[in-house]
Amino acid sequence: MKNLKTRKLIVALALGVLSFGSFEANAQQENYFRAIGTPHKPKVEIAWNRYYSSEVLWDWMKKIAAAHPDLAKIESIGKSYEGRDIMTLTITDFSTGKDTDKPAMWIDGNIHSNEVQGGEFSLYVAWYLTEMHADNEFVKELLRDKTFYITPTINPDARNNFFKEPNTANTPRSGMIVLDNDGDGQNGEDRMDDLDGDGHITMMIRKSPTGRFIKDPLDPRRLMAVGPDQVGEYEMLGQEGTDNDGDGEVNDDGIGYYDPNRDWGWNWQPDYIQRGALKYPFTLPENRSVMEFVMKHPNIAGAQSFHNSGGMILRGPGAEEDVNTYNQNDIRIYDAIGKKGEEMIPGYRYLTVYKDLYSVFGGELDWFYGNRGVFTYSNELMVSYLYFHQESSGRGGQDEQMKVDQLLTLGDAFVNWKEFSHPQFGSVEIGGFKKTFGRAHPGFLLEQDAHRNAAFTIYHAYHTPKLSVMDVKEEDLGGGLKAITATVFNERMMPTHASQDLKYKIERPDYVTISGAKVVAGFVVEDEDMKKFKEQKASPDRLAVENVPGMSAVKVKWIVSSGSNYSITVDSAKGGKASWKK
Amino acid sequence: MKKFLLTGLMLGSLICSNVFAQSDYPTLSQVTQRLQKLGGNASVELKSLTKTDGGKDIYVLKIGTGAKDEKPAIAIVGGVEGFHVLSVELALQFAEKLVTENDSALEKTTFYIFPNLSPDAYEQYHAALKYERRGNAVPMDHDRDGKAGESGYSDLNGDGLITWMRVEDSMGEWMLSKEDDRVLVKADRSKGEAGKYSLYKESKDDDKDGKFAEDLQEGIAFNKSLTYKFPVFEPLAGDIAVSQKESRALLDYLFEQWNIFAFVTFSPSNNLSSPLKYNAGDAKKRVVTSILEKDQAINAMVSGIYNETITQKAFQQTNQGTDGDFFQWAYFHFARLSFSTPGYWTPEFKEKTNAEANYLAWADSLGWDSFVPWTEVKHPDFPNQKVEVGGIKPFLMVNPPFEKVGEIAAEHTAFILKMAEMQPKLEFHNLKTEALGNGLTRVTVDLFNNSPLPTHSEMGARSRWLRKIKIDLDASADKIVSGDKIKLMDSMGAFEKATFSWIIRGTGSITLKAGASHTGFATETVKL
Repeated sequence: MKNLKTRKLIVALALGVLSFGSFEANAQQENYFRAIGTPHKPKVEIAWNRYYSSEVLWDWMKKIAAAHPDLAKIESIGKSYEGRDIMTLTITDFSTGKDTDKPAMWIDGNIHSNEVQGGEFSLYVAWYLTEMHADNEFVKELLRDKTFYITPTINPDARNNFFKEPNTANTPRSGMIVLDNDGDGQNGEDRMDDLDGDGHITMMIRKSPTGRFIKDPLDPRRLMAVGPDQVGEYEMLGQEGTDNDGDGEVNDDGIGYYDPNRDWGWNWQPDYIQRGALKYPFTLPENRSVMEFVMKHPNIAGAQSFHNSGGMILRGPGAEEDVNTYNQNDIRIYDAIGKKGEEMIPGYRYLTVYKDLYSVFGGELDWFYGNRGVFTYSNELMVSYLYFHQESSGRGGQDEQMKVDQLLTLGDAFVNWKEFSHPQFGSVEIGGFKKTFGRAHPGFLLEQDAHRNAAFTIYHAYHTPKLSVMDVKEEDLGGGLKAITATVFNERMMPTHASQDLKYKIERPDYVTISGAKVVAGFVVEDEDMKKFKEQKASPDRLAVENVPGMSAVKVKWIVSSGSNYSITVDSAKGGKASWKK
Repeated sequence: MKKFLLTGLMLGSLICSNVFAQSDYPTLSQVTQRLQKLGGNASVELKSLTKTDGGKDIYVLKIGTGAKDEKPAIAIVGGVEGFHVLSVELALQFAEKLVTENDSALEKTTFYIFPNLSPDAYEQYHAALKYERRGNAVPMDHDRDGKAGESGYSDLNGDGLITWMRVEDSMGEWMLSKEDDRVLVKADRSKGEAGKYSLYKESKDDDKDGKFAEDLQEGIAFNKSLTYKFPVFEPLAGDIAVSQKESRALLDYLFEQWNIFAFVTFSPSNNLSSPLKYNAGDAKKRVVTSILEKDQAINAMVSGIYNETITQKAFQQTNQGTDGDFFQWAYFHFARLSFSTPGYWTPEFKEKTNAEANYLAWADSLGWDSFVPWTEVKHPDFPNQKVEVGGIKPFLMVNPPFEKVGEIAAEHTAFILKMAEMQPKLEFHNLKTEALGNGLTRVTVDLFNNSPLPTHSEMGARSRWLRKIKIDLDASADKIVSGDKIKLMDSMGAFEKATFSWIIRGTGSITLKAGASHTGFATETVKL
């Protein structure tokens, strides 16, 4: 690092002599001072106070990979419904080993297409790790030991639709497949209509002598109900749109409807049981490409799927029927990490989906844990606490949002009521909050919350297993035999096999192998003091250990007849590799 | 087997000489030839949905005339279990009989025939080494030890068949049956019975883990890998439901065929000899695991028709579905009426209660050579114990000698055609037009479901994958003074009617259309 700085200085000086322009630039550099915790002179400069289309997210990812070829690689892991790539960054220190040999963290965002900031937050993790690596010892160690697989958007088609086409804050949520939602045999024949052409689907109201609302005289943006004994002035007509198919309903057959987060293959249930499910698990090509990637990368031990909103760190089970899938050993680890997250991200609460939110089948986090034994959280990004650092009701009440728009966003969040001549309702007024307000962070809150959530996923990744072989001892047994014992230590919280994994033998056991010695017998030590050993008769040089629990150790023992220059290795799918040599 | 062949040859020429001369169940290439021949018929579309990992086609025949997609349809499914070779033949013969002898049924009904969903496994019937196979050709680690298919069957006695091996073992759980000493039964230790044998499929412990035939050299079983009660992580099921090319291709296709109202699957499960049982508790849970009450009544009615049509009396037909199977999927997850029958079973014979003893008594009485006598072999894993190989030959208990298939196919064809006659049928009745003066006309009409079946089963009404009944009045919105231009109904019961009325402005004629793909459509022209 020192060398690098010196060299930079020399180059800068040399250039400075040659050119007044670079002297200027150099002088300017000296006017930027390093803020703690943030990459100082990033090779890739990204503004963290705006949102990016799918293509621009990928453009940033490509720039990160190009700027840090030893730390980042980019690949397409599949195609979306409309044929876009599902782009994934692999982040690790490739000079210290293959990505697949290290315990890994999966991060994705934007499965619900309107829940956009998961894209930027995922990208932030990739950017932060690659740009901090040179200057930060912790990040260096992290990328030496671990791999991050980061897929900022797993719903690129509808992400673009959210930004580029008229939507509410809640649409499309699904991807771009258009189904028959009203059961009339036609698909998507009554979509939302952006009558005022501003890109936001807001609300329609109409003056009516029998209406039950008035505009608040103190804030005419706000519609308020009149008292039971008072006459109002306006009636609510609902969402901005028209009845395009003549069935008497407005906007009743749009894009979708299905839910990409009901499409995952753990306790999957059909649509009549779990609204939003499609034909079978992984009907959606986007989810299928994630599933296939995860199946091919058994080193993934932790996962984060970013959603919005409400400020939650969620763990499974998603469905009450799955309560017994999550057992106490694993919940202790979930709790330890999740509660740390509450400290790291003010306003966020650590919750369990089925009991604190709603009971749901076929969700991504349940698949990761139930089907693959991967410790997984879904963070519901953005919470109204961030506005005034006060608790309010979950996703924020309308009054608070009005106040935010008045004091902090200065009217930028609201489309003021404007008259419009509607083909079916006559003269109406159209207005309301923009699609990018409420669920999405306003720009000035984006970077801070991205950093806090990134720090949480880094903490999560840090606690994937880390194995070492230690404390190797020899004992002469006489007659040319000696006993060798070794300890395999896991110095992080997560085990190499979650209890769900052990229950169903999801992943192969960890193998502890001795080479360079002639092995007569091999044992997993059950209780060293009481001399309880479990013998493995077939291939005793390669002992199968079913699990190395978090923050603890497993001991093995061999009786060997020869060998003085032996080595011992441990090879675990989720725990990585480690070795010891005499 | 030889005897079957001879008898088959003799009878085959009598029974099916007009269709084909066949003495044993067809090979895959023979099946393909017959499908291609059927595909030459004007009413038949033959299509391959995909190829399995074993390189075999998954075929569908869509048989119909005119507006095929607007007529209610029945899907006939064979080969959901690879060892159930009869099921493929029954589906095929249904298609052949439909096209050659019963094409009048196509005026009202469309048929989908999926003759074989397990072609990789089916092939084992004709292979040099024969065994009852379920799995397809993908590599699979059934015992989840990190290595795929490394402990399958071994033909220890070299007879080309995988049967059983019994090991003399005073700690074993098995003893000789009192009904037939060729048959082994579990010792009932609660009655103080001691075991004398350990019993395994004919195999060696190839992976030295102390278990036998626990990691078969076959892949995923179609009939154990669908989403209803998917037995996750079990052998032959895998990690994820509907993970295979053939299962995905089939479902992708079915989800686009909106006109199917019922399935008839030939599989080991049976809800036709007697209907599924209704359990109120299980039907009311969020995850439904009992047939719904009204649908149970439909099942009972259809069972009645089945038992009138099929001469064979039910015996030991206790299998009403297994986890991850197809026939339950078609009801519980695809929300169609779904029926399954093995087509064939051993009749009750000489009051034997053990299924194998009963089969052997019956087979012996007919002179069938169906048993491999227990014969001692040397077994590397049991060097100091007596090991014998023997047992009932594979395939025989679930597949009859081929000469019997003609009659079974004829009866089941008759049954399916009776079901087709029961299909939902929408009709307009009592059309009335009243002039109200000043160019206004009131139109009143009854819509009637002239069928013993509802348009939507109780389950069907819950599903988004069945369309609603749409009543569409072909008049512009400004002409309709009152009444709906489009009206959607969730369901109409058996022989149920609904009355509609509109007030319409102007003169001329307008068209009324009512229905959904799986109920067919009724149309009526109204003169104003």
